[in-house]
Amino acid sequence: MNHGPLIAAGAFVSLAFSWAALVMAPQVQLGSLAPASIPNTSDVHPANRPGLAAQGAEVYRSLGCYQCHTRQVRQDALLYGVRLVDRGSNASTINLELPDSGRTNLVNFNLLIALAKSRADLGITPVAVPAVLAADTNVAPVLKEFATELKLLKQFDDKAQVVRSTSKTVNELAAALPVEVLERTGPDEAERAVKLLNDAGGKAELVIYNLGPDIERGWGARRSVARDFVNDSPVLLGSLRAGPDLACLGSRAPEKFAAAWKFASTNLASEMEQRLLIHLYNPRLVAPASTCPSAKYLFATKQPDQRFAGESLQVPGSDKPVYPRHDARALVAYLLDQRLDVGLPEAPVTKPSGPAKIAAAPAKP
Amino acid sequence: MTAPQISPPAACATAPSAVAVEASCRLPVLFFAFSSATWLLFGAVLALLSSIQVYQPAFMEGCPWVTYGRLRPAAVNSLVYGFALQASFGLALWLIARLGRVELTSPLGLFIAGKFWNLAVTVGVIGILAGDATGFDLLEFPLYAALPLFASYACIGAWALITLKARTERTLYVSLWFVLASLLWFPWILSSAQGLLLGWRVPGVVQAIVAGWFGNNLLQVVLIGMALAVMFYFVPKVVGRPLHSQSLAQNGFWLLLLIGGWTGLSQLSAVPAWIPAVSGAANVLLVVPVIVLIYNLYRTADGEIAEAWKRSGVFRFVTVAAFLLLLVTLRNAVFGIGSGARYTQFTYFAGARTDIMVLGVFGLSALGALHYIVPRLTVAQDELPSDGLVDLAFWASIVGLISLAIGYSLAGLTQGAVGATADRNFLGEAVTGVAGHLKLVTFGYGAIGVGALAFLVNFALALRRCCVACCGGVR
Ligand code: HEC
Repeated sequence: MNHGPLIAAGAFVSLAFSWAALVMAPQVQLGSLAPASIPNTSDVHPANRPGLAAQGAEVYRSLGCYQCHTRQVRQDALLYGVRLVDRGSNASTINLELPDSGRTNLVNFNLLIALAKSRADLGITPVAVPAVLAADTNVAPVLKEFATELKLLKQFDDKAQVVRSTSKTVNELAAALPVEVLERTGPDEAERAVKLLNDAGGKAELVIYNLGPDIERGWGARRSVARDFVNDSPVLLGSLRAGPDLACLGSRAPEKFAAAWKFASTNLASEMEQRLLIHLYNPRLVAPASTCPSAKYLFATKQPDQRFAGESLQVPGSDKPVYPRHDARALVAYLLDQRLDVGLPEAPVTKPSGPAKIAAAPAKP
Repeated sequence: MTAPQISPPAACATAPSAVAVEASCRLPVLFFAFSSATWLLFGAVLALLSSIQVYQPAFMEGCPWVTYGRLRPAAVNSLVYGFALQASFGLALWLIARLGRVELTSPLGLFIAGKFWNLAVTVGVIGILAGDATGFDLLEFPLYAALPLFASYACIGAWALITLKARTERTLYVSLWFVLASLLWFPWILSSAQGLLLGWRVPGVVQAIVAGWFGNNLLQVVLIGMALAVMFYFVPKVVGRPLHSQSLAQNGFWLLLLIGGWTGLSQLSAVPAWIPAVSGAANVLLVVPVIVLIYNLYRTADGEIAEAWKRSGVFRFVTVAAFLLLLVTLRNAVFGIGSGARYTQFTYFAGARTDIMVLGVFGLSALGALHYIVPRLTVAQDELPSDGLVDLAFWASIVGLISLAIGYSLAGLTQGAVGATADRNFLGEAVTGVAGHLKLVTFGYGAIGVGALAFLVNFALALRRCCVACCGGVR
């Protein structure tokens, strides 16, 4: 070890290894990652930032918000479930009420079997069919097939040593809709159940459970993944959570803020924007214990000359309005643009079934 | 291989005298020593001010130049580029000249390049305060500061390597392996990271990965390497024994280089899972070279430790630094992988790694070494003028570091506990709940600043005495 060049060469090779693994390999893997299209829409995620939000990203970087806020939601587990939303009706569906009663009680016998196949823990009881109906030429073959299927199921259960509950049955399960047929299972089991139920004429959908404290806290519907950042430069992931994660601030429910609040009107987008502006102006006005630094310097006390910055902001505890400067509006537009409620192939979410969505409405330019 | 002081005198007929070697070091090494200590003081003050802001948000509020998001990176970059790297240059030059028995090539050139380095760091810090930070940890200097920084390093590094090449003592002592590796590693990682981030602009999270890779290499190989160079020089020297084992040192050295570049990426979450996993495994593996290296030092000093501790100031610094290195490596091994990493991810606990490495492992080694080097180059004595100030510098730094490490770790563990359970109140427990621990951190930065100040005053006293001696009195 007395030759400098030898040591230099060895050092170079050592560094080259770590460079190849931790710089080149990620670039090869992620370098061509592109926004993913959102199914059934013409949109992509992540969408290109509107101009104002893009300027806000620069303000976020310049003021060093990433020193205290991460933009990386984590999750511990991704599990699946199955929700039955419709029993459907097909050749094996029979109205158990008498034809002249005027009532309907449709039972899809195939679906019952499919449910029993999906849930090995639940029992299945034969369906009591009024004798008049059982004799019907349309109904008899269905009942016969149902009996055969039940027998097959029984044989299968015995072979697999499945013991079904006697108190809880799939018949009850199918009674209420929508119903969670399976909860928190693996993807294969869930997909098999969806297929069984759909093949039996019902309508079932896959439910996705993103689990972990960050998600329970309401910081995001799913974890952040590399694709969420393909439009960012510089990428400000943050490494310290002195404050809450902001990866999904744009669609955060008011009660999930560090200082919970409520919408007072129906104009959710504008109310959210006001709230964030006031937070920027002085975080202690919305969260008295907050250590988030105030960005008062992004607000003017006098009405500025420029027409675009004319709108005033009423600050609680003060009767004089302040005027958010362009940078303040841009920063808020950027914050509202932070969202994770859109599923990606590698990080799915359950298709939104109607939680209040706040459109990210950037301020008027 | 023997310890430096035992290598045969005048191994080569053309070897310059020790006096000539020291004379060539005087200007650049003293310059680097003084300005790095000044940056240490400055960085500690900025870090202290910014640490107050995390529990007293109204402190220095209302001016964007000193908002936490700018003050904190300004502090960290002052400490890393102003103090740590600059001190590394001084130490590297001195070790090369001393161990290679060679006069520094172009001391004046080194001095001028050093001036430019300081100018670039100043511009960079002002740039951060003005809002031009790049947004990448440990690479926050804007391009207009990063380019001159690189240019001045190119001169410093080149002259250092030329000096090394011209050495008259052909045997390369262990310390010089580390010096050489650090001197080369730094421009490689800097050019690679800056090229990819600011030049080519790699897309998306690759940026964060590249920045993480750079930051880790800077800490784990460049700065820890320099700290080890100092330890391997002073431990055998102070106890007056040859190094315990050459082959252990060799194994430790290569393993550190091979593994060190892979560690420290566990702060990344929105990236493919293999990246933090691979890096976590490296965090664990790194325990091996660190234990090998420190065991080697321990065996070298075994039996003499208590005596050397009492006798030698530099030994005290270096011993604590070695102990901290062991501690921080074990800490990374436990909390750098799996559930431990998840628990402490995004907390002050994980963030404290940078502080402990820069100010602790490297900082203590460097301060110790400077306490040895500066009096020799100024007043040609073994000790700085004031013993009291030496003690103050030592104890203040130690107390500061302990406060920092404990404060950040406790705060981080509290944050981790809150983060792991969704029904704990974030604002009440993880924000205001850690204010007490963070006050300890403020105190820690203050104490470190006091340590730096004590050293600087002692330095100034020595310089004054030097002037009095040379010029026959200033009055
Ligand atoms: C010193 C650390 C720190 C810095 C720097 C910081 N914040 Fe905060 N931030 C916090 C803390 C603590 C909270 C939680 C208390 C609250 O709601 O104010 C918070 C909360 C927030 C919230 C509300 C999020 C929620 O879930 O309740 C927003 C929005 C926010 N910060 C934006 C910013 C912006 C924009 C910047 C940059 C100008 C910034 N923060 C800089 C510490 C910080």
